[in-house]
Amino acid sequence: MGFWWKRAETDLDREIAHHLHVLAAEYERQGYSRKEAALLAKREFGGSEQIKESCRDERSWAWLNGTTQDMVFGWRMMRRTPVVTVAAVLSLALALGANTAILSLMNVVLWQDLPLANPGQLTAVNWQAHGFPRELADGASGSMIREDGRSVADFFSYPSFQALRRSVSGKAQLAAFSFPNQASVSYDGRPAVARCRPVSGNFLTVLQVRPQLGRLLTDTDDSYGAPPAVVLTHRFWEQALASAPGVVGSALVINNKPHVIVGVLNRSFYGLFPGDGTDVYTPIHDEALLVGPGGKRDLDDNRFWGVSLIARRAPGVAENDIAPALNAVFPTTWSRQPKDKNKTPRIRLDEGRRGLGSLRRDFRNPLLVLGGLVTLLLLIACTNIANLLLARAAARQKEVATRISLGCSRSRLMKQFLTESALLALAGGIASVAVAYLTANLLGEFVSQRGADTVPVAVAFDGRIVAIAGITTALALLLFGLFPAWRASRMPSAIWLKEGSGSVGFSPRHKWNIGRLLVLGQMAMSVVLVMSAVIFTRNLVGIESGDPGFERRNLLMFDLRPGTSGYEKARLNDFYFNLEQRLAATPGVAAVGLASMRPMNIGGWWEDVQLIGRKSSDNASINGVTPNYLPLYTSRLVAGRNIQWTDIASDAKVAVISDDLARKLGGTRVLGQRLRFSDGPPGAIAPEYEIVGIAPVIAPTSMKDRPYAVWLPFGKENGSATVVLRTSQPPRVVLPAVRRTLSALDSHLPLIDVITMEEQISKGLQRERMFATLCDGFGILALLLSVVGLYGVMASNTARRRSEIGLRLALGAMPGEVLAMILREGMALAAVGLLLGLPIVWLGAKYLETELFRMKPLEPASIALAVGALLAAALVAVVIPALRASGIQPAQTLRQE
Amino acid sequence: MADKKMELIQGTLDLLILKTVAQGPVHGYGIAQKIMLTSREKLQVQQGSLYPALHRLERKGLLKSEWQESDSGPMAKIYTLTPAGRKQFQEERAQWRRYADAVGMVLES
Repeated sequence: MGFWWKRAETDLDREIAHHLHVLAAEYERQGYSRKEAALLAKREFGGSEQIKESCRDERSWAWLNGTTQDMVFGWRMMRRTPVVTVAAVLSLALALGANTAILSLMNVVLWQDLPLANPGQLTAVNWQAHGFPRELADGASGSMIREDGRSVADFFSYPSFQALRRSVSGKAQLAAFSFPNQASVSYDGRPAVARCRPVSGNFLTVLQVRPQLGRLLTDTDDSYGAPPAVVLTHRFWEQALASAPGVVGSALVINNKPHVIVGVLNRSFYGLFPGDGTDVYTPIHDEALLVGPGGKRDLDDNRFWGVSLIARRAPGVAENDIAPALNAVFPTTWSRQPKDKNKTPRIRLDEGRRGLGSLRRDFRNPLLVLGGLVTLLLLIACTNIANLLLARAAARQKEVATRISLGCSRSRLMKQFLTESALLALAGGIASVAVAYLTANLLGEFVSQRGADTVPVAVAFDGRIVAIAGITTALALLLFGLFPAWRASRMPSAIWLKEGSGSVGFSPRHKWNIGRLLVLGQMAMSVVLVMSAVIFTRNLVGIESGDPGFERRNLLMFDLRPGTSGYEKARLNDFYFNLEQRLAATPGVAAVGLASMRPMNIGGWWEDVQLIGRKSSDNASINGVTPNYLPLYTSRLVAGRNIQWTDIASDAKVAVISDDLARKLGGTRVLGQRLRFSDGPPGAIAPEYEIVGIAPVIAPTSMKDRPYAVWLPFGKENGSATVVLRTSQPPRVVLPAVRRTLSALDSHLPLIDVITMEEQISKGLQRERMFATLCDGFGILALLLSVVGLYGVMASNTARRRSEIGLRLALGAMPGEVLAMILREGMALAAVGLLLGLPIVWLGAKYLETELFRMKPLEPASIALAVGALLAAALVAVVIPALRASGIQPAQTLRQE
Repeated sequence: MADKKMELIQGTLDLLILKTVAQGPVHGYGIAQKIMLTSREKLQVQQGSLYPALHRLERKGLLKSEWQESDSGPMAKIYTLTPAGRKQFQEERAQWRRYADAVGMVLES
């Protein structure tokens, strides 16, 4: 194309030269001198450049060629101001990348279907009732949420599952699954910890998961006496077994019992929800895993509700077609019929295509808030680019005016300006892919749920998301690039040429030109982002710096599961006693205690406790502990005595309660009184405990909620325990010695989830940290961008007013006055932007509120911090142009005129 | 007033160019000269519109051009009519005549 362009250009030059030559010859014949003739010919011919420009537009491929030219020209313009260009591209890349990353995460968590065939046929089978039907069940494992005043739960007894499955056969296939259990496994002699999810034999076939190797589990695998079989997830096979080729048919030892690996699932199946941490699928009847807190579970017990259900409806079968059959059968599987009709569970079917579990519910609001904030960031970045283009167009006034008077068409000029913004968008877009890629998996970590059952959500990039983000930016940039282009192309050439040639007098520009308006908008949006950063950081700091009631440093904890490693119940008590003695003697360990529930792990064991003879009950966090557990946190009790080993050995029904609960119940008078668990994990007979001690208030479950706490004697037949160590050196230093001690005690017992108390606390604040970290990033970026924007507008304004300022100075204005004037103008601009932004913050506050802990979004301190940060940033942006203006030498500027 | 050179009516330049080139191969300058001469110097072709028009007609495939040694010195770009150009010329000429007749009839009535 370049060749053709050149040829056409020379053609034209030669053609015009010929014309001039002939014309000149004519004049020469009329008697003019050669020189005069040439001059006359030129005069008659007129502006040859203008003609050339028109001819160029007439050429058929001129449009295309013009584009290449524009791109080359745009590239040259960018190279002329590399810092500005890089800043613009970088800010766009960061903002767009963050958008793509968060949009991708939203897609994975909120919108994406499970990677299975016909996901629309999947239905989650739940039930709902007013409260938990205590009459029907003694124990449950699953989740129960409150929704519109009703409880919705996902757990059923195994006999219920079997009956429900039969009731809809032909119309839908029903499969059951439980929460994954962490188990110690070994393959080829290498030990590991695996999350084993018990599922009904048909579970994987119902989901229509494709195996990568071997086969899926079958109903035959899932029966008592069947050879133990398991299926591995692709992730576990890859990460724990190093993609060993011959796994199918070989043995995986789970809790000391060998299992045959019958298959490996395909890579795309991540489980029942994004971030599902299941490593191994085991049949529900697998005896190695049939262990609950109280020992073996009887699957035929219809008073233990511990499996969740998923259904795949046959093609053409609607949810309403199977609900009646399920509802008819469900009550027939109960041990009795509830007296209270309100507490009768009714089947409730929910959409299953996007996965099961609480991930979507938990992260819907946070992700929408983040999505909104990150969109603002993109707008701010786009505004900056618009400002940059405007400034560049202004700097090119003279050039543009010249081109217009030389006959360059205005549409051609506009195209050129648009090409430039498109180039910026393209560069930013490409760079943003890298940003998105780097940040997306970081985000995935944040969104993983708290439990040990989950892994970070893998954020897959969807081409559609990248396309949406790209197109949005392209549109935004075209929109933002269109105005500068349009304005540049509309300049009346004569005026601009005149002004450019030495602006006489003051250029009476409107006070609120478009550049200033853009900066105002930018400031307003920055207020929202900076404010969010301040709010969420204060939220996190507020929670973290709270007093848990104990020294959180130098505490180490891990879980042990002797119950699933071959210890008989009778040996467990001795084992725990020995364990404490041996660990306490380990160098670096100051004290050791055991608990049945991991501290500071959110969730846990909760009960409604009631003093005998009182009507009201209070919700409390319960833990079973050894005598040395409470002394880990607090040096002495408020009143009464601690739990003792004899309590544990004799199964004594005694309790130590927290001071705040004691105060609520009547102070030290409660010592010796009896406490009853009136609600909680349902029991036929509510157990009663004698209050023997009152302990100081310590946070049992998290830094956020401070529930009442009740400590009971550690259950001597507990299959598992959390070991908590108070160390005299940093915990990580002590850990090797601890491992050695344990290995000497039992070399087959793995330490599960080894973590320091500080790490455990911070794990519980993941969501708060996600908000604080992301919003800090957004806020800093917004601050930087608006500083750049404000600086750009102020700098170009003062540059334009050089002569005015020079004249003022010449007429006797003091440099300090000029400085103050510019500062005043710039800060006024920032202040108005701030004022515009605050109502937006006020409007958005209710969306932020749900993510905050004991904090209002609009606290005066937060507003003051955000406004202070923005004003300080604005001052930095304004002070440089102001100083420059006050340093103008009047003589110099006047001479320039 | 009769001597005053007239500006071309919009849209007639193409027709005049086609007519001039139809009479034989000619370069740009020659076209302008010929139009001026045959109109007895009443029609003045602006160079500013002549060359863009030539390029436009060439792009439409009505004219073709060739660089040739000219009698007057440097190489000249000589334009000739293409068959499509000839057809277009005949159509446009017929159309112009009908138009001029019609306008004439109205003005003379």
